[in-house]
Amino acid sequence: MANVLTDKEGKKRYLVSFTINGDEHQGLVKANTLFVNFIRDELDLTGTKRGCELGDCGSCTVLMEGKPVNACLLLAVEADGHSFTTIEGLATTNKLDLVQEKFIEYGAFQCGYCAPGMILSAKALLNSNPKPTEHEVREAISGNLCRCTGYVNVVKAILAASGQEVEH
Amino acid sequence: MSIKHQMSIEGNDLRLDFDKEYTQIGKSVPRIDGVEKATGAGKYAGDLKFPNMLYGKILYSPHAHAKILSIDTSEAEKIPGVKAVLTSKDVPDMKYGISPARWDENIFCIDKARYVGDKIAGVACIDEETCYKAMKAIKVEYEVLPTVLDYRHAMDEGMPLVHDNYPRNINTEIHQDFGDVEQAFKDAYHVREDVFTGTRAYQNPIERHSNVCIWKDDKLTIYPSSQSPHYFQYYVAREFGLKMGQVRIVLPLIGGGFGGKLEPSGLEFVGSVLSKVTGRPVMMSYDRLEMFQHNRGRHQGTYRIKTGVDKNGKILGCHTYFLLDGGAYTGLGIATAYYSGALLPLTYEFDNYKFDGYRIATNLPACGAHRGHGAPQPKYAFESHLDNIAKDLGIDPLDIRLINARKPNTTTVNGFGIQSCELTACLDRIAELSDWREKKKKGLPQGRGIGIATGSFVSGAGYPIYRNDWPSASCMIRVNEDGTSATLYSMSADLGQGSSTILCQMAAEAMGYKYENMKIVCGDTETAPLDFGAYASRQTLFSGWAAKRAGEKIKKDILETAAFMMGLPNEDMDLDCVDGVIFSKSRPKVKVTTFEEAAARYFKLKGPLVGTGVYTVHRTGGYHKGAPVGTSPAYSFGVQAAEMEVDEETGKLTCLNFWDVHDCGQVINPTLVKGQIHGALYMGIGESIFEQVQFDDKGKIVNGSMGGYLMPTALDMPSNVINETVESYEPVAPWGVKECGEGSTNPTMGAFRNAIADAVGANVTSLPLNPEHVWRAIQEKKAKDKK
Amino acid sequence: MYLPDFEYFAPDSIGEACQLLSQFGAKAKLISGGTDVLVKMKNELLAPEVLVSIKNLEELKKIEYVPGKGVVIGARAKHNDLVYSELLAKRYPSIPGAAKQMAHNQIRNSGTVGGNIVNAVPSADLPPILIALSATVHIVGAKGSRSLALEDVFTGPNTTCLAPDEIITEVIIPDQKMTGSTYMKFGLRAAGALAVAGVAAAVWVENGVMKDARIVMSAVGPTPMRAKKAEDFLKGKKITDELLAEAGKKAAEECKPIDDYRASAEYRRNLVSVFTKRSLRKAIDEGHV
Repeated sequence: MANVLTDKEGKKRYLVSFTINGDEHQGLVKANTLFVNFIRDELDLTGTKRGCELGDCGSCTVLMEGKPVNACLLLAVEADGHSFTTIEGLATTNKLDLVQEKFIEYGAFQCGYCAPGMILSAKALLNSNPKPTEHEVREAISGNLCRCTGYVNVVKAILAASGQEVEH
Repeated sequence: MSIKHQMSIEGNDLRLDFDKEYTQIGKSVPRIDGVEKATGAGKYAGDLKFPNMLYGKILYSPHAHAKILSIDTSEAEKIPGVKAVLTSKDVPDMKYGISPARWDENIFCIDKARYVGDKIAGVACIDEETCYKAMKAIKVEYEVLPTVLDYRHAMDEGMPLVHDNYPRNINTEIHQDFGDVEQAFKDAYHVREDVFTGTRAYQNPIERHSNVCIWKDDKLTIYPSSQSPHYFQYYVAREFGLKMGQVRIVLPLIGGGFGGKLEPSGLEFVGSVLSKVTGRPVMMSYDRLEMFQHNRGRHQGTYRIKTGVDKNGKILGCHTYFLLDGGAYTGLGIATAYYSGALLPLTYEFDNYKFDGYRIATNLPACGAHRGHGAPQPKYAFESHLDNIAKDLGIDPLDIRLINARKPNTTTVNGFGIQSCELTACLDRIAELSDWREKKKKGLPQGRGIGIATGSFVSGAGYPIYRNDWPSASCMIRVNEDGTSATLYSMSADLGQGSSTILCQMAAEAMGYKYENMKIVCGDTETAPLDFGAYASRQTLFSGWAAKRAGEKIKKDILETAAFMMGLPNEDMDLDCVDGVIFSKSRPKVKVTTFEEAAARYFKLKGPLVGTGVYTVHRTGGYHKGAPVGTSPAYSFGVQAAEMEVDEETGKLTCLNFWDVHDCGQVINPTLVKGQIHGALYMGIGESIFEQVQFDDKGKIVNGSMGGYLMPTALDMPSNVINETVESYEPVAPWGVKECGEGSTNPTMGAFRNAIADAVGANVTSLPLNPEHVWRAIQEKKAKDKK
Repeated sequence: MYLPDFEYFAPDSIGEACQLLSQFGAKAKLISGGTDVLVKMKNELLAPEVLVSIKNLEELKKIEYVPGKGVVIGARAKHNDLVYSELLAKRYPSIPGAAKQMAHNQIRNSGTVGGNIVNAVPSADLPPILIALSATVHIVGAKGSRSLALEDVFTGPNTTCLAPDEIITEVIIPDQKMTGSTYMKFGLRAAGALAVAGVAAAVWVENGVMKDARIVMSAVGPTPMRAKKAEDFLKGKKITDELLAEAGKKAAEECKPIDDYRASAEYRRNLVSVFTKRSLRKAIDEGHV
């Protein structure tokens, strides 16, 4: 359990630490601080978006121990001790991740608001299933709503990132 | 892209340019904002942060119709971290809207609240959490009034009025009459009348409406999620009595609009005042439910259509009677009402048309311009109706469309001039792709059906939203001093559709430059010249003209400089610049130079290399009341077909195959065009089958969330989507372009409905075509068959 | 949206967790995956002053087979732990089959079995298949522990028979004679949608005769409910399509659906009739799927 500090008014703050994109971060959070708000407001990792705030749209998707979860339904205190990847952690200084490259090449996002979450869901899929079928791709991103693309080019980009031949 | 011929109508100089190959357009270059979006580095309004920034929220009415008796903000003001609380007495009381014919909204309700979600008070606090606590502490005393929730009965005697100045709750009434419909019905071999009902759909962009307002001294800067920086600048300046130059609108990335971010959301007005009184930047936002309540989505309507045809199915005359549920305020809804009837005569040629339309005020969220503005649901009704007529006459649905299909260089009965139109080619091609004839001949297995529908849409509106005599679009290009890059300054808005990308492609082509060296500053009213922004599918044609002309000016200057450098005369237009290389067309052995070198030389000799471009729409449309709505320099055309499987026991629908063939003129970026069509199909499928904003009997939304309002997931979309464009060239457009993003929303609902009717023989007459509705239609048919 | 203030505890043992729950009584709420509790709090349907998290209780994550007891699923096993469990894939693939129909991938990576049960929404997707397989639950409280048939846990929409200090620790699927089982969900969207109706069926078939059947319906009553008349009707009869269709009709008569914005009661009854027939057929023909 995280260390607890109590202020003069008896309000509690919880000391949490976690790894994000390989970096250690500590924070003093309120119990009701959501992980999505903590990383956006305190760490300026605004690539993780707030969309529906109820776990329905997937735009706040982050990878927790490599698995996609909704950061809007995760308390910062519950994130304590865990390891995360956000969209900022995919590309290295000079090189985009292959999934990001294929998303751009295939026109897999338009407004781009769902893209970080969608790309992370795709990344998690390909990590556990390097040659997914089209249906498996659709299942893996069914928690990521996109209002622009109809998913047509998203599915193509993910299949292409898995090395499968896909028409543009 | 090889273009057979190009006619430039600039200055009446009609040049023919045969078989020209282009280097920057007609190619799927990667989008200009691709990397920043793929890496999460790009900032949307809600991602912005300024020193000392506060957070603001708007308290809304929990009642659909209620007098506001008193507001007590004293408890809220005492909460630590609350920096300002505003009510109607603290803000201007000038009514606003977007269509000046019906300005009927106030920043905060003054007399009464007109829907659940109407704006009551505003707070600015040190964080969002405190905002919610402050809103809870504001005590509002209401006198709840009887409501008007059903638009079909809102005109009845004795119904309460939503606005005192809209008698019988009629917000807009339209009567247009062209030719002689009654005579056409008399002459007709067959006359049929049908009634269809629509549904309320919401744009639901994934990005929530947000903005940051900074009012410092006499200058107000707003970073909004908006489709039109110019209209925002105009309306904000007007509301606060500021000069246009005192208001700066800067667009961050926009996370989708689809029409819903064209109107002021209220956040920018409230945020501005909160910023003024606190002296600090204020971040405003709606949560998802508040977005649904603010709405401005699709009007639901009742669509009665009567059509007379000859024995071959040729339409002789048509009378439409539409009743639209407008909700509590007008916004863009008056235009929607006109559009709903005005765009129907586009796809089919007929000489007699009568349109009676009513937009009704109710105590529900206000409806507005939703992708395909006003057209998709009437089109669904008309395409369903046309299939019913074809069935009555024993004509193939494809044939009745071929017989009536619009031809190029025609004028619609209501005065819209059409130049390019390849509707027939689209119909022929979709018949091939879908194997239509064979499927119709052999028949499909039980429970399976195929349906077809057409659509058309404006490539930009012929007139601006508020009256002004400015050009429709303009822009400026500045070439960097060393010639290694050029920046396009445009007040256009890239909502995701890719306008920044294609405008840079078009500018680069016109300049003889390279797309990859282009930068764009878009949507900043302080740096870019006027453009009305992203609505009515206008930017490719309108903003495209401006970009092309600005680029051509640059090229002229570059070639003059190059001629000087190369020691050649340029009077005979012998030099050309393509893909950054300047060469002599008639003297192939002359050593070439580059755009870069010539640009650098230009700067050294003459200073900044800047080109500007402007576009003004030619006079369009007739002279009847409402004639401007629906006018455009050019119209896109398209056809869609769907093959559906219906589970007859549950009504569950599966779309097995989907085809779209489009005439969107010449294509600047094939990947982006396909993306637009995929997206239109997505919204079309959503609105056809899944999406419906629903209310309880008090006017409260019951499904105002992403889990309640069901947009299709990746698993709900058909795997087999085939889309193609047909060869087409629009003479009044830059490089022959037309729109594709909204027109392709028009046929979808009709295609689905017709496929379902074909599959199970049932006539589903109301949207959405969800499983329960389909199941009920099947039950009704079974009961009828038994009799 | 925001979360109101609350105090947070993450005890290291079940005993400590029960103690905290007992201490704070009605003010406290247990949080496991958070996918239901936090949503209800954001929607202002719940405002606990204390959240007691069981995230540290590793022992509740197991999925194992205990001879003589059956398959034991820890209450903190996540939905995707069920989806990818080799043990369940071997013994009762119908459980991963049901789990996969829940919500979407991200939620399945957070939400837990125990949470899906105690949250007690009538449309929950796991209870029907678990009840069809005669699952029991082990409950630990501040004053001791008890076991109960899962179907007896539910008392109404969002309510269970658990005392404020009680925690479900495991779900036990006993060894059984059922030869097949499946859960069929009908939602208005392929993912991320609540069931409009769902039917789980478990059957014991021998020589074309239905020796026993259990039918459990979701989203058509205040709790997951057995279609007992349909079950009794089937017992001992030779299996035919007509028989299954008749069982569907009986189940449709037994269910107690309501009209809401997703669907009408009438349509839901139709769905129960169709999916009872179809799920029985699937369990008969394909075993545990």
